[in-house]
Amino acid sequence: MGLQPINPYKRYIMVTVKINGKEITVEDNTLILDAARDAGYEIPTFCYQADLMGIGSCRMCLVEIEGQKKLQPSCVTPVLHGISILTETPTVMSARASMLEFLLANHAMDCPVCDKGGECELQDMVYKYGPHKGRHAEPKFKFHEKDYALSPVIIKNSNRCVQCMKCVRVCREVVGRNVLGALGRGDHQEPTSFFRSFLDCDADGNCIEVCPVGCFMRLPYRYKTRPWDLKGADTICPYCATGCRMVIEHRDGEVIRARAQLGVGMNSETLCARGRFGYEIINSEARLTTPLVRRQRHGTLEPATWEEAFRIIKERMPSLGGNTVGGIAGARLATEELYLFQKLMREVFKTPNVDSGSRWDAAAVEGFIAATDMAEGGVSVFDCMEADTVFVIGSQVSEENPVTEYIIRRISAGRRMNVIIAGPRAMKLDSSANLLLRHYPAAEAALLSAVILDINAAKLAASADLTAAKDAKLDGHLKAAGLTIDDVRALATKLRNSESIAIMAGTEFLRYPHGIESLNLLKELLRSLGKKVRVMPLLDRSNQRGAWEMGVHPAFGPGYVKAPAPGLGISGMLDAAADNSMDALYIAGADPAALYPDEAHVKEALSKVRFLVVQDIFLTETARLADVVLPGASFAEKDGMLTNQEGRAQIIRKLLPPPGKAKVDLDIIRALGEMYDRSFGPKNAALVLDEIRRAQPMYADVSLAFNNKRNVDNKLDNKAALVKGTKAALTIRKFEQAASGQDAQYPFMLATGNHLFHSGRLTNYSKTLNDLMKGMTVEISEEDALASGLAAGERVLVSGAGFSVTLMLTVKKGTKRGVAFIAENFDAAPVNRFFRKGKGAPRVKITKA
Amino acid sequence: MLENVKEEIQATLKKYPVKKSAVMDLLRIAQREAGGHLTREAMDEIAVLLEMQPVEVNAAAKFYTMYSVARPVGRHRIWVCRNISCSLMGSDHIMKHLEQALGVKKGETTSDKKFTLDVAECLGSCGTAPMMQIDDEFYENLDAKKIDGILKGFK
Amino acid sequence: MEKILLKNLNNPDAHKIDVYIKGGGYKAFEAALKLQPDNIIQMVKDSGLRGRGGAGFSTGLKWSFIPKDPTIKKYLCCNADEGEPDTFKDRGIMDWDPHLLIEGMLISSYAFGASASYVYIRGEFAFGAKRVQAAINEAYAKRFLGKNILGTGFNHDMYIHCGFGAYICGEETALLESIEGLRAQPRKKPPFPALAGLYGKPTVINNVETLACIPAIIERGPKWFSSIGPEKSPGPKIFGVSGHVKKPGLYELPMGTTLRDLIYNHCGGMLTAKPLKAVIPGGVSAPMFTAKDLDTPLDFDSVAAKGSMLGSGAVIVMDESTCIVKMAHIINRFFSHESCGKCTPCRDGSPWVTNILSRLEHGDGRPGDVELLESLCTNIFGRTFCPLADGAVMALRGAMKNFREEFLYHEKHKRCMV
Repeated sequence: MGLQPINPYKRYIMVTVKINGKEITVEDNTLILDAARDAGYEIPTFCYQADLMGIGSCRMCLVEIEGQKKLQPSCVTPVLHGISILTETPTVMSARASMLEFLLANHAMDCPVCDKGGECELQDMVYKYGPHKGRHAEPKFKFHEKDYALSPVIIKNSNRCVQCMKCVRVCREVVGRNVLGALGRGDHQEPTSFFRSFLDCDADGNCIEVCPVGCFMRLPYRYKTRPWDLKGADTICPYCATGCRMVIEHRDGEVIRARAQLGVGMNSETLCARGRFGYEIINSEARLTTPLVRRQRHGTLEPATWEEAFRIIKERMPSLGGNTVGGIAGARLATEELYLFQKLMREVFKTPNVDSGSRWDAAAVEGFIAATDMAEGGVSVFDCMEADTVFVIGSQVSEENPVTEYIIRRISAGRRMNVIIAGPRAMKLDSSANLLLRHYPAAEAALLSAVILDINAAKLAASADLTAAKDAKLDGHLKAAGLTIDDVRALATKLRNSESIAIMAGTEFLRYPHGIESLNLLKELLRSLGKKVRVMPLLDRSNQRGAWEMGVHPAFGPGYVKAPAPGLGISGMLDAAADNSMDALYIAGADPAALYPDEAHVKEALSKVRFLVVQDIFLTETARLADVVLPGASFAEKDGMLTNQEGRAQIIRKLLPPPGKAKVDLDIIRALGEMYDRSFGPKNAALVLDEIRRAQPMYADVSLAFNNKRNVDNKLDNKAALVKGTKAALTIRKFEQAASGQDAQYPFMLATGNHLFHSGRLTNYSKTLNDLMKGMTVEISEEDALASGLAAGERVLVSGAGFSVTLMLTVKKGTKRGVAFIAENFDAAPVNRFFRKGKGAPRVKITKA
Repeated sequence: MLENVKEEIQATLKKYPVKKSAVMDLLRIAQREAGGHLTREAMDEIAVLLEMQPVEVNAAAKFYTMYSVARPVGRHRIWVCRNISCSLMGSDHIMKHLEQALGVKKGETTSDKKFTLDVAECLGSCGTAPMMQIDDEFYENLDAKKIDGILKGFK
Repeated sequence: MEKILLKNLNNPDAHKIDVYIKGGGYKAFEAALKLQPDNIIQMVKDSGLRGRGGAGFSTGLKWSFIPKDPTIKKYLCCNADEGEPDTFKDRGIMDWDPHLLIEGMLISSYAFGASASYVYIRGEFAFGAKRVQAAINEAYAKRFLGKNILGTGFNHDMYIHCGFGAYICGEETALLESIEGLRAQPRKKPPFPALAGLYGKPTVINNVETLACIPAIIERGPKWFSSIGPEKSPGPKIFGVSGHVKKPGLYELPMGTTLRDLIYNHCGGMLTAKPLKAVIPGGVSAPMFTAKDLDTPLDFDSVAAKGSMLGSGAVIVMDESTCIVKMAHIINRFFSHESCGKCTPCRDGSPWVTNILSRLEHGDGRPGDVELLESLCTNIFGRTFCPLADGAVMALRGAMKNFREEFLYHEKHKRCMV
């Protein structure tokens, strides 16, 4: 059965119906289409799709119900107890053939030049159901002569449209952009954009993916291949921690398409722009294809052989380095690689200094893991969406985790529930929310403390003194967050009135860790009130959770087992380096020089590391500072496992070999280890996984099996893939809020994060993604733009203490006043120059350039 | 463009519990204000006013035949009914006569921009067929002579 | 017969509220306000009133489906889209007696608890819309509309929503979509409008003529109403006659009046000496009759028994000079022009049929055309989302059944036989 909107008020009554004479018992209200599928009878459809609202318009799914004169559309007709349904009678078959005949009557029939040829649902259906003779001999209506581009990624041919409206519906119901509509009516009806004009949209291409024919097509893929000439591999999108399953395909070694499939993965057919068009980084000319070494102390990086690079490493990196050696691994490496990486650092280099990522403080990470219950095992987003209330805080989820956002939108529209969003900036998901709280950046702590006080107010009411103290405190929090008491009361009321609550907590808690304690407190408080509380982290790197669970962290090893002697995290290592006490640092797949929130500090520190090894696929900001650069592999060039933010373990498969002399990261890490210790291993990904499973209860039973064929069931929630819980002793440290400082000269607080089209700095190497933007931008609220006499599209100068950059202004309605946002993804606008280590959100001013 | 008709728009908005419902009224007002057709700019303006996506406004406008989307028309729009009752009573001749009298074919606008000649499906004036509509008025029981008189009445 | 619905037709001042009240107007509403709402629903049920829009569903029964929960907002929508070609009866009421409609709507709204109503008037009826709006304004001024109407605590607001050229808006769920500001494509049912209609709220959609019958039912009682015409489809009915008759126009007659009586008696007979060739009894969707069917009583069941339908009561009379292929072409051209585009058979099938008919009419018939038309009718009929295309098919089938030779003549000789 398809994924029905979850309805808590629904009574699950079972009914029995006959399908083609076969009796079957299904839930009441099951669609005939689904019941027939359960009984083993496939019914063809164009307009039906499990995750869209049924419209019953294509009429392909008509079936006979005994006793009823008219054929009924099985995709919108629920079963009734006792009815007898016939899906394969001559009448039904002739109806199917006739619908196809009608669709073909106005179809362009230019299959030989159509990109969809070979994987076209109309072709397949005509082949299967007929008619095999054409009777239509009238002129066809032509929407246009030449195909037209709808966006940098969409090329459109309306003459092939079958009017299923899935493009319009997916854009409205799932993506929430609603920029497509049907213009005209009758046989002149055309799903397209406003006046067929160029779209300014999320460029996710979901309209292309749902199109059954060659009407919506990928522009970058156009005329490059026939689908049967493609070779593909199942993989997971590497650009956020939602963990969308997709297939990447190459022809002659060039990756030219990424696609998602209906009913496969938790994302089903949907992806965002990054996932669907970000594959170009694999083919990039800028990929590192050979090791580079700096042969003289202040010399340049020059190509070298692997032997030379390894020889230099062996010479300069002591095997028993201890505290003066450290390792940082990026959260985009595969789980097996991350496991081996920490093993290398801990067992070969005998150092406790190991961390993942480039931005977060290790103690903040530990607290966040504890507050979000990560050690207690995976939490499915679909389970979260069954709660009475979903509370999203600390994440610009529409841009950070677009497909998670689609899921929230789609499911919340189908059932009665609260969606609460707290954050400084307006976002697309706001329209699905029934409560919005716009607070200042870094004020999650204040907001949560205020709501905790309000929920607890009843307990305090007995004492006037306590009440007065509470009020004073509450006022302080409200002022700090920029909220009113009504905002907080509305939130408290919704939480109090919910039996089950899912909190989705984003990376702002890691950026500004003083909120972690309040997050944990709220969770505990709600549980103490008898509520069922689930917490799901919203993370921005594909395998961030995997990295932590593999123990790439100074305080704990694999499975969150406490490290015997805690080491230094990234901040500690950089401080030590700045202090001239780091002998060697091995950074794989991370780019702290570009992303650590204090550029001057990180660059100074890295330059003071006596020996720096960087392993990556591009010459990153960090790699430029290295003594040895090792070329690694992209996600398309390796087998492995990734754990998404829910704690869902999923595998990726190798499509191509790494370019040139580049190697799979696992092989590099292992070879490095072997150089010091011949027995270092395990020797390949499968064996590493075996070792992980043996050693770790979290991963012992996790199932990596998945269906990789398009299917209509849409059973998206594979719970067997969720990691299990473990006992962990994690500490939530108290963080003091770093002052952001009031300064009339700098009226804006700067927020940062990922742009919708980018993930870290990697996606800068995708031409398509770069072309989607007219330039780098700074975003402020409509009111602020008006007040400062600035207009959208204008060039503005953003200046903070010690750094300024010229950007294009974008204006957003509904964003908190006094907030400016610059994405952290742009090489030419390194936002980390605004940040100072240990300080709060930076302040900037914006003036006409 | 809709600045001059703010009050009318406010009154329209009051009719409905959701803003979007006012889209047909606003399109009609915008068409009237622009002298008979709808521009892209007007639809953009309506989209902002009603908090809709421009394409939704576009889709609504393109569904109904009386909106003239991006097609400028003459000062007066003539609709000649061609449905069955009018056809029985000679609407073909009415059309021919109008084409001759105005010197345009159906769907065209006279060179002085005075009239646009269009056909319409049944306008609900069948007991007085054949008939035509000019702007908001019905003209019934037509014959060639009557038409000439009617056309003369338009300046 | 005494006129109920058209008593004010061509009465120049009847649209003014004072004149209307002087003639006994709004008495029925005042009387209704003293009744229990459920009693009114029962009275309308007892009267046997069937919807005059075309489907002929029991009006009282329709109202009784509305949930009784007073906390839920409910709507009444008056279907004044009158788009069925050759139908012009509702226009007669709106132009000449708008208060009759408003009074009917008020009683109905009170009966099932609607707090707001919309009159959906097709855009072409600018005159009618002005009349109804002026009448609504007058009714507000006299406190028949607004808050606490006549001190009874009943609140009701009434608005006009103008269509702008789309026949499909006459389909009740498409009408709702149109009021909501969307493209007027029919909605899937269930949920039926009685449970989730306008803005998702319980909604009744009634035709103008249906609502105009209500005040008389309240005033004179259901027995009086049900005694007019046949037992199963009683009441006065407006017939709009057009085409080749001496006196076309609107006629209010008892249900069950025969076609012969209507054409030869009330309408003064055929326009010229040419005899009658065909007659459409209920708007263009209704299959056509020939002279042999003239004694059919015009009521829902009798017309249906003869394989056609009473529909809107629009009667189109055609004499011997009429080319049936041309008529079929006009009808199908209309339906393909008005197809909303939602479902496949109507969107892509109707234009195909129209293209073939156009060729046939214009002397470009091909062998097998008539057979192909019949096959396409089979493939469209009963398989569409809403009944629009069914109407086109029924009309064509009716024409081909009665005048098959004429179609074949066009196919073979590439010209018209009349």
